[in-house]
Amino acid sequence: MNRRHGSVVPVEAPYDDRLLHQRVVGGDESALGEVYDRLSPLIFGLSLRVTRDRLIAEDITQEVFLLFWERPLAYDPDRGTLRAWLATIAHRRAVDHVRAEERRRVSAIGPRLFEREPVRLEDTVLAADEAERVRQAVSALPDGLREAVELAYFGGRTYRQVGEELGVPEGTAKSRIRLALRRLAGALAEEEV
Amino acid sequence: MDPVERLYLDAMMEDAAVPAHSLRPQLLAGARARRRPAAPTADWAQPYAGRVAAMDALLASAVDDDWARVIVEGWTLQELVAHLAAKDGLVAASVGAPVLGPPMGAADSLGRTGDVQAYERARSPEQTRRDWRAQADALCRHLAALPPTTPATLDGLEFAVRDHILARGLETWIHAADAAQVAEIRLPDPVPEHIRPTADLCARLLPWTMLFSGLDGAGHTLHLTLTGPGGGEWRVALGVADTEPGEPDVRITADVVRFCFLLGGRGDPEDFPAEVEGDLSLAQDVLTTALAFSGP
Repeated sequence: MNRRHGSVVPVEAPYDDRLLHQRVVGGDESALGEVYDRLSPLIFGLSLRVTRDRLIAEDITQEVFLLFWERPLAYDPDRGTLRAWLATIAHRRAVDHVRAEERRRVSAIGPRLFEREPVRLEDTVLAADEAERVRQAVSALPDGLREAVELAYFGGRTYRQVGEELGVPEGTAKSRIRLALRRLAGALAEEEV
Repeated sequence: MDPVERLYLDAMMEDAAVPAHSLRPQLLAGARARRRPAAPTADWAQPYAGRVAAMDALLASAVDDDWARVIVEGWTLQELVAHLAAKDGLVAASVGAPVLGPPMGAADSLGRTGDVQAYERARSPEQTRRDWRAQADALCRHLAALPPTTPATLDGLEFAVRDHILARGLETWIHAADAAQVAEIRLPDPVPEHIRPTADLCARLLPWTMLFSGLDGAGHTLHLTLTGPGGGEWRVALGVADTEPGEPDVRITADVVRFCFLLGGRGDPEDFPAEVEGDLSLAQDVLTTALAFSGP
């Protein structure tokens, strides 16, 4: 599922992103199926996390992949991974949905005293305050996990290099990072919305 | 990409979820309704069907202004699409596939282009797009049952239908690239399996482009190395009547996509980025005549 190449996470679109994109642009339906198989758990999980509504999350997931099929040229592999591109669209749609729900509730029960600043959504998955929450969640990790994550993501190290710097085998570095990612997902879920 | 974003997405991957029922069948059915996939056709015609689908994806994002903008040859996008439909229709006529658009009058590329453009100018750009796609898809469907070696003629040139269709694919690709450039949209290359046979056609055309330009390469051999996905190596006998390539007199190495585009009339042969070894003046002849068949 989460295919890792030499370094922990590919910085640019990996070759199979490009190839899948080329195939989708060329009207190859089976490529859309492959993109769905690979990325729908992420897209659905993300949509579900934000909306907390399985049906809405299904609609958003469906729409994100349809949009990629219908307008494949809106994605430019030179600007990032397909995963990030689809996640950005899903995130934006999910947040739009939550806000629309909120507005409906507000108009039903009257205005709140203090409206929160609207979050600006641009071409990123995370708005500035959300990115800050991710950083805070990282700093709240136990040291062993935090160091591994920082080396891998902020230091651009491979699993092997993370292991060397922490004086542990590569496999241990890998499992620490995965454990850290699971902890982060849990921590972020608790504070969502 | 921002490391925090990558980290967030990786964390989300650990927290992935699946819908109660797979959305896959629904998705594929919905996709088909929103954008038509490449037409089903013979394997050898798929490079063409793929470029038609890619062009159509590009046209899907065109708005009124885009359709009226001049792309190439003094033609607007609508006229360019009509031109593609005209030539596709001529190949269709040559192999007994349905010909759409105005009744067949002129049977050469330029004449038929004029007729189809006049017909389409009275229609909306969206109708022109549909007419062009319908012609291309009708041709693809007809090709599904046709042997690739069936003779076909376009503008007096008789080749196997497979080669005419590869040439249609290349022209569709090049015009899609022209339109994408004007619209400032990045158009990805075809998949390597589609580039390869297109490059092969271009390599095989070299003796003809030389001859067509009044140069006879008889008895000379070119070793052509095309780099990048879909590339490869070719040994080309440069005389149209040569039966076998001999020892190479010259070696040319170039990017496969640039080489295909050179044959399609995009790129300056005098300034073409290629590595050349051996008979330099022969290489010069090959490259400067390469675009001899590139019409509008």
